[in-house]
Amino acid sequence: MALVEISNVHKSFGEVEVLRGIDLTVEKGEIVTIIGRSGSGKSTLLRCINGLEQINGGEIKVAGELVHSRSTDLRKLREHVGIVFQQFNLFPHMTVARNITLAPVLTGKIAKGDAARELARKVLAQVGLEEKIDAYPGQLSGGQQQRVAIARCLAMSPYLMLFDEVTSALDPELVGEVLKVMEDLATQGMTMILVTHEMNFARNVASKLVFMHAGMVHEEGRPADLFANPATPELANFISSVR
Amino acid sequence: MRGFTISDFLTMLAAVQWTATLVVLALAFGAPLALLLARMCTGRSRIARLVATGILQLVQGVPVLGLLMFFYFGMPVFLGIKVPALVSVGAAFTIFTAAFLGEIWRGGIQAVHVAQGEAAACLGLTRWQTFRHVIAPQAFRIALPATVGFLVQLIKNTSLASVVGFVELARAGQLASAATFQPLLSYACVAAIYFALCFPLTLWSRSLEDKLNGAR
Repeated sequence: MALVEISNVHKSFGEVEVLRGIDLTVEKGEIVTIIGRSGSGKSTLLRCINGLEQINGGEIKVAGELVHSRSTDLRKLREHVGIVFQQFNLFPHMTVARNITLAPVLTGKIAKGDAARELARKVLAQVGLEEKIDAYPGQLSGGQQQRVAIARCLAMSPYLMLFDEVTSALDPELVGEVLKVMEDLATQGMTMILVTHEMNFARNVASKLVFMHAGMVHEEGRPADLFANPATPELANFISSVR
Repeated sequence: MRGFTISDFLTMLAAVQWTATLVVLALAFGAPLALLLARMCTGRSRIARLVATGILQLVQGVPVLGLLMFFYFGMPVFLGIKVPALVSVGAAFTIFTAAFLGEIWRGGIQAVHVAQGEAAACLGLTRWQTFRHVIAPQAFRIALPATVGFLVQLIKNTSLASVVGFVELARAGQLASAATFQPLLSYACVAAIYFALCFPLTLWSRSLEDKLNGAR
């Protein structure tokens, strides 16, 4: 069974149909990169996967559970599906440690106090920011904030991580440190779905590339193949425009 | 007739306790209601939103004096029992506080970016946990200057309770004025005491506002 099964998903915002019948499966351990022009529905699709957006048709299954079914405990599901946002969305009134441990403690994964702090230290080590454990988000650079946001996800030990243009709000010189963390996660076998404009990452790290166009999966396949031999003029155009 | 003496002033000072009582009552009962209204206004349920918004608009559109009269004369009529002035006056200020603080806190809650709530929900927090740990602390910081500012309004507005004969600071001033035929001096004292109560709060509210703006 695939970890994520998306079949014939439709989604409209008012009159505008942003997703027009999406089919996509993601196996455990896969790193799927979604590319496409802005407005092609990439971010919306990602947000549908953890139930942040409702869908108007079709279905999405994560670990065999229907995301948009009334009987699904979305909260429980989200404990295992992490998402990292373009704007970091750290909690500005909490220290890095508390940002990280808030959810694990409140959801009963871990006890307050030493155990929680140990967890914070462990996941911060994974993103190389142990020394910032007591800092506030406002004291960190954009790249550091995004790494903390990734650590905050990791603290919930997710089996799937979603990345929504996580480097798009960063200064160019800070992009590398975040991509590095994501590459590390990829080598550790984390299942990841990313929406990104980082073509090098899509080419070199991803195991599957998905090109979205006009609310549909226009092409999908191995990154090397798609980059070398785009089957459609839309993808060819897109590749040449982002080079 | 007698002259205005220090004991008149002391009587006024003593009446401050009733002004304070009204303020404390209004906050103790009004603040939880305000929180409820603010939550309803910003919640998911359409009906709750409509009801809460309706209440806020209604109460804000009625002068405090109107509320006072309504509760003072209305409670015996509608409840069929005679209630002490403190209860009816307290109820009026409770409703007043609920509506205005509710509006201030609604604004504070809505000023916290939607994405903060999303991020919390995505980490598996319940809606209450999200409000309690993520939204409320940030909203509170944003709304604190206006909340303290409202406190000043509340203190001054309790003077309206004198109209129905409730003896608080303003009413004590009236009584002193009537007894001494020194209205100017009496009311000057009343004004000075109100100012002494409110001015520090105004300063505090200002400094909170500066801090908030500086932090952005």
